[in-house]
Amino acid sequence: MNLYDLIVKKIKDIQGVGDESPVTNISTSSMLTAEITLISSILVALIMLRLVNKVLMIVAVLVVLFTVLTAMPLMPKFKKEQNDSLASMMFYIVIALAIVITLFYWGNLNV
Amino acid sequence: MNFLIALMVIVPILCALFLNLLHKKDRTIKVVTVLLALTLPALPLLANYGLHYFGGYVPLVENPTLANNLPPLITDTALNTFHPAITYSFQSAQQLFVFIFGLVALLAIFVSVFETRRPSGVYAYMMFMGVAAVTAVILTDDIFNLYVFFEIAALATVGIVLVSNVKGNYETALKYMIIGSIVAPLLLLGIALLLGVTGNVNITDIIYSIKNGLVDPQNPVILMACALIVFGWLYGSGLPPFHTIKSAIYSKALPSGAALMQAFSVFIFVAMGIIILRIFSYLPFSQWVILGVSLMAMILGITMAILQTDLKRMIGFLAVGELGYIGIGLGLSTAYGITAGLFQAVNEAMITAILFLGFGVVLYQTGISDTRKLGGMMVKTPLVAFLVLLGGFAMAGVPLLNAFQSKLMLIQGSIKAGLPELGVIMILLSIVTFMTFMKAFHAVYLRPMPDELVIKHEKIPKATIIAMLVLLGVCLIFGLFPQVATSYLQPLATSLAGGIL
Amino acid sequence: MIIDVQLASLFTAVALVVIGIFAAVFLDNLIKKVIGLAFIGDGVNLFLISMGYKAGGIVYIQLPGMAADWFAQNSAYPLPFALVLTSIVIGASTMAVMLGIIIVLYKKRGSISASKILGE
Repeated sequence: MNLYDLIVKKIKDIQGVGDESPVTNISTSSMLTAEITLISSILVALIMLRLVNKVLMIVAVLVVLFTVLTAMPLMPKFKKEQNDSLASMMFYIVIALAIVITLFYWGNLNV
Repeated sequence: MNFLIALMVIVPILCALFLNLLHKKDRTIKVVTVLLALTLPALPLLANYGLHYFGGYVPLVENPTLANNLPPLITDTALNTFHPAITYSFQSAQQLFVFIFGLVALLAIFVSVFETRRPSGVYAYMMFMGVAAVTAVILTDDIFNLYVFFEIAALATVGIVLVSNVKGNYETALKYMIIGSIVAPLLLLGIALLLGVTGNVNITDIIYSIKNGLVDPQNPVILMACALIVFGWLYGSGLPPFHTIKSAIYSKALPSGAALMQAFSVFIFVAMGIIILRIFSYLPFSQWVILGVSLMAMILGITMAILQTDLKRMIGFLAVGELGYIGIGLGLSTAYGITAGLFQAVNEAMITAILFLGFGVVLYQTGISDTRKLGGMMVKTPLVAFLVLLGGFAMAGVPLLNAFQSKLMLIQGSIKAGLPELGVIMILLSIVTFMTFMKAFHAVYLRPMPDELVIKHEKIPKATIIAMLVLLGVCLIFGLFPQVATSYLQPLATSLAGGIL
Repeated sequence: MIIDVQLASLFTAVALVVIGIFAAVFLDNLIKKVIGLAFIGDGVNLFLISMGYKAGGIVYIQLPGMAADWFAQNSAYPLPFALVLTSIVIGASTMAVMLGIIIVLYKKRGSISASKILGE
């Protein structure tokens, strides 16, 4: 089994049995592109932590790199999370509200 | 001619009400709608810069006769300079925004009356109402007025989706409304908190109060208000976590409606972003929140776009992702960066409209938006394919077209501001954007046509091609002569940046 | 014991918003969800109007014979009143559209359960 077959198998595993759409060449390459884009942009964005602390930046990049590599196909999970059901949308909205308020309220008072 | 400023909002509302009366008169509706829509881009070109006071007075300091009889309690304090009216401010940046928005609206309405088999006054009503609301959001200097028109824009968006007759449109519209009914009151709560602290809803006066020590800038209530207004901003423009519902809404509308709705999002994003920067830029934190949210929008929007199999959903996610570029420009908080961000907003509103209209032709001809079932349309419609390809080039930032200029400015701006990482991410995501576009383009136009694909309408409405040509023409002008646009945006950007180049 | 009117209405507003968010997030019946959303809107409107309360203040209409100076110091703040009217109208129209959509969905799908018709 070569690398491509491995990737296709992984995608099929995550898609589950319910989804009858075939895993085509195009969908595999899109999934790979999305995965690589996601990981590389997060890693590049983390470098901006250097403005806070250089050591923190190095530690953060290494930790995130390690976590990402072990949790590898991320994108199928991300796609599953960002679905169209009202319940999951509502969940993320409440979380976002909490994060925004916390950041503004305590972030400004204590920095 | 300052009254033209008011007319920019009043005319679309009147058009909407008038068109709603014309029911079941197809030809009349077509002609009248297009004629009325022509006023949308024309009005901002004719109006003079200045302020317009709706239903109130000019500030007392400019009106000595009124100030004469008032007690010194009012005339000797800051109340003298406050704006006791709903103030609309029309400057060069607003002129460009309203003009481009009017142009996109005109073309979307133009296409809609020729693409729908039976043009209905109701659809035109919704489109005009939304245009009026977003124009008001761009112009207004009154934060409560902003909330009112923000809600009207959301209702108009829902209306556009409801009349589209696409499968699943009612469900998506209801989801959008339920989410909106949670977020909009919270936005209003933020406005109420600002009102409670400063006693004012006029943005200029709120800034005056904060800058001149009438209220404590580090007051926790103001911080809370800022958080809630930022949350409303996320919803209004479809930044994460609202990117899924926003792209779903685009995909459930007709192509002309989607082209208009993405322009709503872009301009609500810009208008509210400007307000957040104006009021809260003294909090160093607000800049980082804008940057962080924009980065998330870019990354999540574009990586989700490439995974979609539905054509409209794909462009919907791309539209959300491209919003991130504008946000990065605003978040850089330098005059150059903000100019680049605003320029990108203008470009993006046009380019995404081209893509929605262009891929909309495929939907018009086949009624299918699933990329796995499409193919071979190049043979049928080579001209449309070429125009869509140019639109895709524009979105990716190919030289000679407008987004090249604005993305280049954004990258230069991020390097100048000391954050080259943002430039790297923007280049990376531009490449992926182009790949996503090429994936859709290949699926629709280049690969062999599947046997089961049936073409329902052979003839393409000329209106669509004219609309795309006009938009591409403006894109080319802005691409060749970016100063045409940036010179309009620079004054606003300079004042927002507060002297940081 | 006299409870401060403004404080009492602020607490009521908070209670309404919290109950509303709870109902909107956790209840499955769409009509109940919409009632919850109405609660959120009402709570915020109550909060907004209580901003204009002034203890011992008078209605903001200057009657003949009232000195401008005295009136300016004693009248309540009129702006929230004007704002809240607009906001109620918007809330009512949003509510009407939502309920209308729910009627259509009920006719189409035969259910008003959010998990059934607003799932994936």
